[in-house]
Amino acid sequence: MTTSGVPPSERLTVRLRVNGRPVEHAVQARRSLADFLREDLGLTGTHVGCEHGVCGACTVLVDGRSARSCLLFAAQLDGRAVTTIEGLTPAEALSPLQESFRLCHAMQCGFCTPGMIVTATELLADQPAPSTEAIREAIAGNLCMCTGYVNIVRAIERAVAARSQDARR
Amino acid sequence: MKPAPFRYARPSTLAQAIALLGEARGEGKVLAGGQSLVPMMNMRLVRPAVLVDVTHLRELTGIAPTGDGGLRIGAMTRHAALMASPLVRERTPLLAEAARHVGHAAIRNQGTLGGSLAHADPAAELPAALVALDARVEVTGPGGERLVRAEELFRGLMATALAPEEILTAVDVPAAPGGWGFVEMARRPGDFALAGIVVVLGRPLPSPPLGGEGGRVVGFGVGDRPLRLRGAERELAGGGIDAEAAARAGAAAARDCDPPSDVHASAEYRRHLAGVLTERALLQAGVRRAGG
Amino acid sequence: MPDGAWVGRPVPLKEDARLVAGRGRFVDDLGRPRMLQAAMLRSPHAHARIVAIDTREAEALPGVFAVLTGVEAAARSGPIRPLIPTTAVVPDYCLAVDRARYVGEPVAAVAAVDRAIAEDALERIRVEYEPLPAVVDPEAAIRPDAPLLYPELGTNVVWHDTLTYGAVDEAMARADGVLRERFTIQRYASTPLETFGVIADYDPGTDTFEFWTNDQRPGLTISVLAASLGVPQSRVRLSCPDIGGGFGNKRRPAYLLICALLARRSGRPVKWVEDRIENLTALMHACNGIMDVELAYRADGTLLALSVRDIADEGKNLVTPTQHNLIKLGNIANGYRIPAVRYAAWSVLTNKCPSGANRGIGKPFMCFAVERAMALLARRLGQDPVELRLRNYVTAEQMPYTTPPGARYDSGDYPATLRRALERFGYAERRAEQAAARRSDDRPLLGIGIASSVEPAGTNLASYEIVTGRRAASGSAEAAMVRVEPDGQVRVSLGDPPSGQGYETVLAQIVADELGLSPDAVTVSRGFDSTTTPWLYLSGNYSNKFSVTDVGAVVGAAARVRDKLLRIAAHRLEAAIADLELGGGAVAVRGAPDRRLAFAEIARTAYADVLGLPPGEEPGLEARHAHQNPLAQPVDGERRVRSQLVFSNAAHCCLVEIDRRTGLVKILKYLVVHDCGRELNPLIVEGMVHGATAHGIGAALLEEFRYDAQGQLLTSTFVDYLKPTSVDVPIVDVDRLEHPSPVTPLGAKGVGEGGAIPGPAAVANAVEDALAHLGVVVRSLPITPEQIWRWTR
Repeated sequence: MTTSGVPPSERLTVRLRVNGRPVEHAVQARRSLADFLREDLGLTGTHVGCEHGVCGACTVLVDGRSARSCLLFAAQLDGRAVTTIEGLTPAEALSPLQESFRLCHAMQCGFCTPGMIVTATELLADQPAPSTEAIREAIAGNLCMCTGYVNIVRAIERAVAARSQDARR
Repeated sequence: MKPAPFRYARPSTLAQAIALLGEARGEGKVLAGGQSLVPMMNMRLVRPAVLVDVTHLRELTGIAPTGDGGLRIGAMTRHAALMASPLVRERTPLLAEAARHVGHAAIRNQGTLGGSLAHADPAAELPAALVALDARVEVTGPGGERLVRAEELFRGLMATALAPEEILTAVDVPAAPGGWGFVEMARRPGDFALAGIVVVLGRPLPSPPLGGEGGRVVGFGVGDRPLRLRGAERELAGGGIDAEAAARAGAAAARDCDPPSDVHASAEYRRHLAGVLTERALLQAGVRRAGG
Repeated sequence: MPDGAWVGRPVPLKEDARLVAGRGRFVDDLGRPRMLQAAMLRSPHAHARIVAIDTREAEALPGVFAVLTGVEAAARSGPIRPLIPTTAVVPDYCLAVDRARYVGEPVAAVAAVDRAIAEDALERIRVEYEPLPAVVDPEAAIRPDAPLLYPELGTNVVWHDTLTYGAVDEAMARADGVLRERFTIQRYASTPLETFGVIADYDPGTDTFEFWTNDQRPGLTISVLAASLGVPQSRVRLSCPDIGGGFGNKRRPAYLLICALLARRSGRPVKWVEDRIENLTALMHACNGIMDVELAYRADGTLLALSVRDIADEGKNLVTPTQHNLIKLGNIANGYRIPAVRYAAWSVLTNKCPSGANRGIGKPFMCFAVERAMALLARRLGQDPVELRLRNYVTAEQMPYTTPPGARYDSGDYPATLRRALERFGYAERRAEQAAARRSDDRPLLGIGIASSVEPAGTNLASYEIVTGRRAASGSAEAAMVRVEPDGQVRVSLGDPPSGQGYETVLAQIVADELGLSPDAVTVSRGFDSTTTPWLYLSGNYSNKFSVTDVGAVVGAAARVRDKLLRIAAHRLEAAIADLELGGGAVAVRGAPDRRLAFAEIARTAYADVLGLPPGEEPGLEARHAHQNPLAQPVDGERRVRSQLVFSNAAHCCLVEIDRRTGLVKILKYLVVHDCGRELNPLIVEGMVHGATAHGIGAALLEEFRYDAQGQLLTSTFVDYLKPTSVDVPIVDVDRLEHPSPVTPLGAKGVGEGGAIPGPAAVANAVEDALAHLGVVVRSLPITPEQIWRWTR
């Protein structure tokens, strides 16, 4: 008779950081991180597109690394730090990467965009000057049904160029 | 697509984790990276009564050099960590290359070596790489630790030699001083391979080349588990691998494999791929061994 | 056409600023107090009698508030009105009642406190099925011994007819040759990343239903909902938030009805959002089909006649069958002069997911068949495929040109489009590269594919009369409102809810030009709200109609507001209207800038200080206008009709590389030259071309809904149903010609579907070109590496 572990209908308390702020919340074990962020914390910028880890719409950063929030249970995140699109958006205006997306019209319906921004953020942190091919490969795990990806690649290239210009100043 | 209800346990030691699995009497599952398990749970194809979260267990972490030039890699090592580790890149770069083919960054950041082995998808890269490297897998259960040779770990489609109350804890990877090759064919980058071949060459034998083990050729996606393609292996002599030997090895590999048919590819096509990819992987390995 | 300050400029999009920050509001981001979540129980059988359903255990599960079966739904709602009312009239309710007819068809629904519990409850519903033989192949479904989806109809053929325009048989007899080929196309779908969803609420106090949904055709859907729920349309409120892609897929009144019934039963709002497996299994697929083509020609390559037999596999679809057939008929000639045309069509039911609108609806297949036939004809005659096309294109001098079935091409220079494409593509250099690659055994094979197409915009619903025999809905129209608010700011509202096409920006540009403002001073209301947005039955986001119909509504409404601003200003400034001009958000006397009234001041008169209005002038400063596309006409006595109304065109050139041994295809270069008339916002236009082209590439190489012989869908997740990624879609090079339409309010034509139409043909032609020396002929899609291996071994 299995008696250990938290029963499914009960809640356990999870303590984590979300977008830099401490969060303490009671969750059921099967609550996905995606649903937790969206419904329990009201951070609806992270989107759900497949719930099997393929489309990338739900991508967030966990301890600074990209992760599919549809494949994580909120309960697993105890002690961790999660960053969502809301955490990557400055209080005033847009980040340089977001501004680049806006100027290049790197979105149409906008549903894939938060996940794209998270993936691009990680790419730019890992590689200072990715080639066009490296960019295309890096975002190949984020599906977009609207743009055909061309403007998204251009936006990331533009962000790379702007960043190296800033670095030179 | 929400999973069926389950109990969630987060042990703080490996012993506790094993005890929890024992209590669950076959209805428990280990939660590590979750990249294979959770989609199946979301689709309710898999319905564990208990999830044992091992992601915080220190006993499962770490990449350490071993005396014989190899590595001991903790089961919780993420694929991304395999790619980034200087030790892996230096001693067993094949593992870094295999890990690079797994999914996309977000999957690699979370997915683990132990998870990939325990899940035992016959089209997965890392199980085949470890069979090719003749790695040993450390398995811990209520009775203690045992070592299982990688090729004995995989028993069939998604089936391993792990008992329900055992946890895969580490992998012992010997050094691979000869060349190696890794080639897979997938419809899109990051997809499961339709077929793939891993080659690990032994040290060059003194000439004239005689029989004996010149290396391993292991296929993934071409059987119900990573498959040693022994006919191809017999073509590996101690000398260089030329185009004819590679072609003969490819033909042998195509004959020896037993691939599935599914919605992505027929058995016949996979068999053909096994042959082509074996040739290409062997030539790649030969170039590496020659220092290229 | 006067040049505006804003229309035609690549203005960055207003909506992009919120979308990039994750501040969009999609239906799953919305909530209502005490809201429940629903889940659908779906048939595991492709065809089965539903013998009994026992929901007691499900209802008893804590957290469950309502359970609905088909029998109850049929008792509490009316059948769903079809969009295309064919003679196959069978009551079709929101849930399967006595029979399930495809795997995934909803048979029961649960509303519970959360989705997880609702899904737990589904597992406790006991359904007794009696499986029936399923029919999965459309040709089998036509045979007299086929299992019938609706025995009362006596057939699975919803529509079969032959339409002949011109002397086809004589042309075939006289011809120097007739090319005969059979082409097939797979089931696929545009699969917007956001799935379909709804929140339904019922207010017993006012007997009103309220819906929040990403349904793309609110005008139509409100009509269906009201009729089924038995309430007047005035007691149905429907609003659309941001929509995460549509492409025609997002329309299924059945789900809204299910949630409405659950809401009324439970007394609480009910939300249901499709998960991905539900979406791929049960929302909609573009028809798969079989097309037999006969193309009659003279020895010099002049086309004489085209005869097509077209079997469209509709799955279980009684709501919009024949839609694909009619669209194919309207586009059958592609860009060519073909004097005689015959179209023999079947619209066939099978035990598969319902068909529906997809990007291009049927045109990708029609274009594939025609462009493939052209490629094969060129080979047969030993002609360059470019020369063959140039010989047969409708030319600019021949515009406007009406095809035999009645499609009217308004403007465009198809030869110039193709020539520009070839030049920019470097056609001659690519041919040289190809020859060099072919000579070496080590190098991959290279192939060059060309395809051209027309791209229509706006659908005339009168065309349905060809199928139904009577006119119900007709024409193409849209409604809009422009309002100067009491504070002088301007707001626009359109009956067509966008799903990523940038309407909030383009409409602001248009109104800014009309009223002498900056687009920043114009707010376009998000989405749609039936109580405040002007709308018609014809309103909605479909058939590429924005640039050719919707803009007319906005231009008309803005013009009325403009006139009123001038009348009020003339009165207050004591000037003649002819002496006034608009600019900078004000009306001023020309040459006397101090005699000026800002919009806020004019609005004060219109809304507050109404005694200051000119005599007889009504208070307020807003106008509604509905625009009807003047090109739409009824079907004529010869069964000709303009089923679609305004025509863009494009030429695609594609260079592929094929691994000789594995068959893997890589697209090295892809060029589109297109002409959509006046580009209202080039940034949006180019994005549309990229995105639509990606859809074409997906259909050509990756996407396929595959069923087994029992009607089980084998590709129901994104692991098995493959969408193109950023590695699969090359950086598409886009160039343009601009032949404005002489018949649209701003000279713009449609651009939303374009790339999806010739894309599959371009890629297929390229693959075949690479393998031509091996005698390969491409007749079906998708083209997989395994298929290439089979063709070449």
